[in-house]
Amino acid sequence: MLAKLFSYKTPQNLLVLMNAMALFLIYFYREDMDRTFIIAGISLIALIYLSNFLLQKISYGDHYLFLIMGMLVSIGVIMIYRIHPEYGLKQILWLGFGILSFFLAYLITKKMKGWERFTNIYVLLSMILFIATLLFGVKVKGATNWIRIAGFNFQPSEIIKILFVFFLASYYVKQNVFKNPYTFWVIVYSYIGFLFIQRDLGGALLFFLVFITIAYIYDKNRKWILYNLAFASLIALFSYFFINHVQVRVITWLDPWQHIDSKGYQITQSLFAIASGGFFGTGVGLGHPEFIPEVHTDFIFSAICEEMGIFGGIAVIMLFMILVYRGFKIALYQQHRFFRIVALGITMMFGFQAFIILGGVMKMIPLTGVTLPFVSYGGSSLISSFVSLGILQVASEELDGEQEEEHGY
Amino acid sequence: MFDFLSMIFRYFFILIIYIFIFHIIRLIYLDIKNFHDGMEKDIPYLKLVNRKNQLPFPVKEVYSLEGSVTIGRKNENDIVLKDPYISGRHARLILDEGTFFLEDLDSANGSYLNGDRIMDVVRLKNGDRIKIGQVEFLYVSGD
Repeated sequence: MLAKLFSYKTPQNLLVLMNAMALFLIYFYREDMDRTFIIAGISLIALIYLSNFLLQKISYGDHYLFLIMGMLVSIGVIMIYRIHPEYGLKQILWLGFGILSFFLAYLITKKMKGWERFTNIYVLLSMILFIATLLFGVKVKGATNWIRIAGFNFQPSEIIKILFVFFLASYYVKQNVFKNPYTFWVIVYSYIGFLFIQRDLGGALLFFLVFITIAYIYDKNRKWILYNLAFASLIALFSYFFINHVQVRVITWLDPWQHIDSKGYQITQSLFAIASGGFFGTGVGLGHPEFIPEVHTDFIFSAICEEMGIFGGIAVIMLFMILVYRGFKIALYQQHRFFRIVALGITMMFGFQAFIILGGVMKMIPLTGVTLPFVSYGGSSLISSFVSLGILQVASEELDGEQEEEHGY
Repeated sequence: MFDFLSMIFRYFFILIIYIFIFHIIRLIYLDIKNFHDGMEKDIPYLKLVNRKNQLPFPVKEVYSLEGSVTIGRKNENDIVLKDPYISGRHARLILDEGTFFLEDLDSANGSYLNGDRIMDVVRLKNGDRIKIGQVEFLYVSGD
């Protein structure tokens, strides 16, 4: 029995074991434990296990993606519940919706054909969402990138992420969608510009990195890539000197200790948390991650490092590395050109997003607020990540369509 | 009570996460190994004769034969072909002292070698055509 539980053929058993242990541990965490928590915990375990099982039945593509995601989500839920039990329960609810949207995205993307033809629709939808954000946006935590509908806040930029990848892919399938070659660049920079106006610097950086990497791989006009890099550096320099909130990020990155009581408080608390964890951490529930503002969203990694130690933190980074590796492999093996680029784009969205926030909380790069995919608390972020993963799952299967001739593996 | 448990459990959590990562990396390693070994030249292989895009199910252009393999519709086979005309466990290629033999595993629609339905185990030679369901393969012995 025990040998089977640890068998290499079924990593999902390990996931169940991990969650069951966490459930057991958290049962002792608070004395006033109510029934909802137990039900939520058991349904979380069942949800991850059964959806793994279901996926293996309906998809013959890659099965590792979902497992890696399951581990990341489990770590995330445990940490969020420990920081803020109410958010933890909500996160489990969002996880349920997320898995539902994963399967919906998988089925819709698979059944519908001709995704590469809708370039204009992707752009139009994204622009509508951007303008809606500008008009009806609510300011939450410094960035005006939230829309409130019927009591729920959601971030349109999470949906635009997926639309952006689809737009880039549909453009690079043929590279002759627009008569004027400059139209493409104008559209791309208007995406980044809109994010900049919303003061979502992390988002702007993320979109730019994904765009420049896809252009680097697929653009026929090599010189344009250099022009783009030069243009972007110019804008970065300009915004450093003239835009206040960019300057603040750079200053707190270079020397947060000088501003420890004001601007640098968050980042220094994060560094204290990471440092106090040591190799194995203080143990779940025994640290003080609540000293860091926004610890359940952007700074979840610092909390993991504090309570699960550096080894826990390295494990999270390794999980992301495997996820990105799988994504690249899927992109290399996919013969359908559109889904090849989509797989690449989604993989880079995950990879760069993780890099931006992990680098930010560790003070390796200036801190810009993006969520850690699958781990951070947040409904729209979680659902958008799940939808992306569903599309990646479709791309991991063999699809018939246009064969790629010039870039064979 | 909780403090004590949490102190102990932190080691278990990290252990489980690392075992998990190790298993995934191991599975991925096995996956890659299978693929790259087929790229060497002197290994016998099956080459698809049909046009790939005319078959309504996924099939690879080349299947390398390192040892005995089974062909069928079920996922437990080494070569999985989701063809409705292929049985769950359809046929088997057996490696015996350097030569391959084709054996039909009592499939409903039979296996054909160069147009003839095979009854028993037959020895394969270079250039043989194997037809299973709608799929036709060319056997290339490699040497």
